Amino acid sequence: MRKVLYYLPLFAFLALALFLLSGLFSDPRERDSASLNKALPEFALADVMQPDKIWTPSELKGETYLLNVWGTWCPTCNAELGYLTELRQQGVKIVGLYYELPRDPAFDAPFILAELQKDVQQKLQQQGDPYQFNMLDIDRSLSLDLGVSGAPETFIVDADGIIRAHHIGDINPLVWRSKLAPIYQEWRKP
Amino acid sequence: MIVEAGQLALTFAFALSLLLSTVPLYGSFTANQRLLLLAKPLAFGLFIFSAVAMAALIYAFCTSDFTVINVAQNSSSTLPWYYQITASFGSHEGSMLLWVLMLCGWTALVAQFSKALPLLLQGRILGILGLISAGFIAFSLFMSNPFARSLPFYPVEGRDLNPLLQDFGMIMHPPTLYMGYVGFAVAFAFAIAALMGGRFDSVWARWVRPWALAAWLFLTLGIMLGSWWAYNELGWGGWWFWDPVENASFMPWLAGTALIHSLAVTEKRGTFKSWTVLLALSAFALSLVGAFLVRSGVLVSVHSFATDPGRGLYLLAFLLVVIGGSLLLYGSRMNSVRSQARYQLFSREMLLWGNNIFLLTACLIVFLGTLFPLFHKELGLGSISIGEPFFNQMFYYLTIPFALLLGLGPWVRWKQQQVMPLIRPLAMVAVAALIVSLGVLASMQSVQANLALLGMLLGAWVGISALAEVMLRLRQFGSISKGITKLNASHYGMTLAHIGFAVLVIGVAMTKTYTTERDVRMQQGDVATVADYEFTLTEVYELNGPNYGGQAAELDVRKDGQFVTHLHAEKRFYRIQRTIMTESAVHARLSRDLYVSLGEELPGDAWALRIHVKPFVRWIWLGGVLMALGALLALCDKRYRRKQTQREPGAEHA
Repeated sequence: MRKVLYYLPLFAFLALALFLLSGLFSDPRERDSASLNKALPEFALADVMQPDKIWTPSELKGETYLLNVWGTWCPTCNAELGYLTELRQQGVKIVGLYYELPRDPAFDAPFILAELQKDVQQKLQQQGDPYQFNMLDIDRSLSLDLGVSGAPETFIVDADGIIRAHHIGDINPLVWRSKLAPIYQEWRKP
Repeated sequence: MIVEAGQLALTFAFALSLLLSTVPLYGSFTANQRLLLLAKPLAFGLFIFSAVAMAALIYAFCTSDFTVINVAQNSSSTLPWYYQITASFGSHEGSMLLWVLMLCGWTALVAQFSKALPLLLQGRILGILGLISAGFIAFSLFMSNPFARSLPFYPVEGRDLNPLLQDFGMIMHPPTLYMGYVGFAVAFAFAIAALMGGRFDSVWARWVRPWALAAWLFLTLGIMLGSWWAYNELGWGGWWFWDPVENASFMPWLAGTALIHSLAVTEKRGTFKSWTVLLALSAFALSLVGAFLVRSGVLVSVHSFATDPGRGLYLLAFLLVVIGGSLLLYGSRMNSVRSQARYQLFSREMLLWGNNIFLLTACLIVFLGTLFPLFHKELGLGSISIGEPFFNQMFYYLTIPFALLLGLGPWVRWKQQQVMPLIRPLAMVAVAALIVSLGVLASMQSVQANLALLGMLLGAWVGISALAEVMLRLRQFGSISKGITKLNASHYGMTLAHIGFAVLVIGVAMTKTYTTERDVRMQQGDVATVADYEFTLTEVYELNGPNYGGQAAELDVRKDGQFVTHLHAEKRFYRIQRTIMTESAVHARLSRDLYVSLGEELPGDAWALRIHVKPFVRWIWLGGVLMALGALLALCDKRYRRKQTQREPGAEHA
């Protein structure tokens, strides 16, 4: 018994090595999104440009589209606008979910929609406009329900309103071709 | 040309390390003295060639030779010269070469300072260090060559050094940390050499102690510098993040701390042998696992280098050989080693055993917390993350009994301690700790039953107890003035390190409890009041640095109308890497830091600023420095330099 005891460290190490080996072959950034294969959560969000228009999930059904979470304040989002615009020109429908920075009460800056609209318009004119329209998630309720951890993030939602992919980070040609395009093609209604 | 010379030097170093890892070991098993004698010159040669290789790489960086891929990706011609030098170890490839250089440096040091060792043991130790060097040099040479060229097509300008690494702390942090990591290879080699058929006795322990102490000293400083750097550079006033890579450096530190205590028992009492050997193996094993975690990409962290499964596989195979091999040797050899010393329940042995249990529990917690997400995912249970709250709570519970024991430990005698004689002095220490804690908190007008009070009490208990104990020892020499020169340096070292721990505990508790932070929106001329300090934003203007632009903010700080200081915070935009960096403004005093970081520009000529007042935050790093100084003092102890007798009672064959 005492003899076996001295081999314990070795066994523990070998078990660890096994985990490390399998860990080598999986991407730690890859997370299983909790919202995958579930319907889009309920929401009623105003359009950024026409605040009278309220979007709900049922209005978005009927066509597979990308739901892109972004903000003008986010450099990576701005960087992907160009490529997303190319995708739009190829016929991919992209809906923007505008992710507003949290307003700290200490800054006591009032939210001014007109300024935001100006910012968004300016940015899209400069970098390209990939969006059919943008929804304003002012209190971040939809982002929270979707499990968004930051911007940019993109979801592929199919024609029945089911989430089929959740991508964290920017979309560039490599990511699109290797990861998102196959899913998009699969769920795209002919 | 010079770059090729560096490549050649590294190749020579590889050849020498292969020789070093075979010739003396073969000599040790065939009792061939001539082969054993070769170990020393081989070790020196190994060091010289690896130093030449590093020098060549630094040369390539300083001359901005962008035909070298490593230089093109991590440096630029606009980078200041001192960052060009540090950029040479800012990438995975370069840092690997630095790692190799440090390892060869330790090997050369062992060769130089091992005159007292029997030739056989010396040959084996150097042989094992050679084997480890061979593994790392091969990795550097074949898997991540720092000298690789991109000819015939090369960029005219480099991609610049990651701005996070352009800081003084970054110049010091990696070399110090690596010295510590790699330093544990020496204790590891001593343990393996003894397992191969030497002795585990107090002589062996006395040989290992200075090496373990030196490695621990560097690791302590390295971790502390890293924490200080993060505080200055990351812009949100944190000093420890429980990031996987920080944890990877913390685990060998905890194991190393346990090792230096366990070695004391083995040296003084000839016991705890299997324990000490296991700790010597694990301190280095954990360093290697840490290196694997950082460089293989199994974990996500701000520190991670670019990932490549090939590199990960190589490192894992190397881990299996080195750690697996040593633990196999441990299992097969250690069961024949017996410790014969007897001791009572209340004795210094038992208390040091308690120390080891707590340190290893802490190490296990960090280990599980770091790797649990990986286990969880690989078992198919989905992604989870373990963050600060888990670690903070666990360490909260561990620190209380640990600090209580630590205050008691140095008073207790080896073998057996009577309880009665300790009651009076320790009661006095406890009363003094209570008075000091309440006094300090009362002067801040905040005596409450909170974390700060607990931390003050524990810190004062440990610190006052350490001081009182050293006074008692000094008086035992007749009078304090007589004793001051007679007490060994290692005793002073222990006292200082324990005081360092006390200072650290107080710093953590006070900072956690009393930090005030506010995010404010300020225009020029606005005043924000945080914890009685009035911060006036006097000016914001454009910056124009060598390889960055951005904005700088000037602030005046007043307290009760009195001018305190002027602060200068920057928000830099590094042009080549297109990254924004925060250079926080810090006004440091022993009792508090004023910390301002400049945030986003807001509509209406206003700026977001983050203002912290952090009481006692300096004490955290001061504690680390004191611990490291303690180790340095202990290293100066005469008995490590005395010519050692070959045989001592208690010797035993393994």
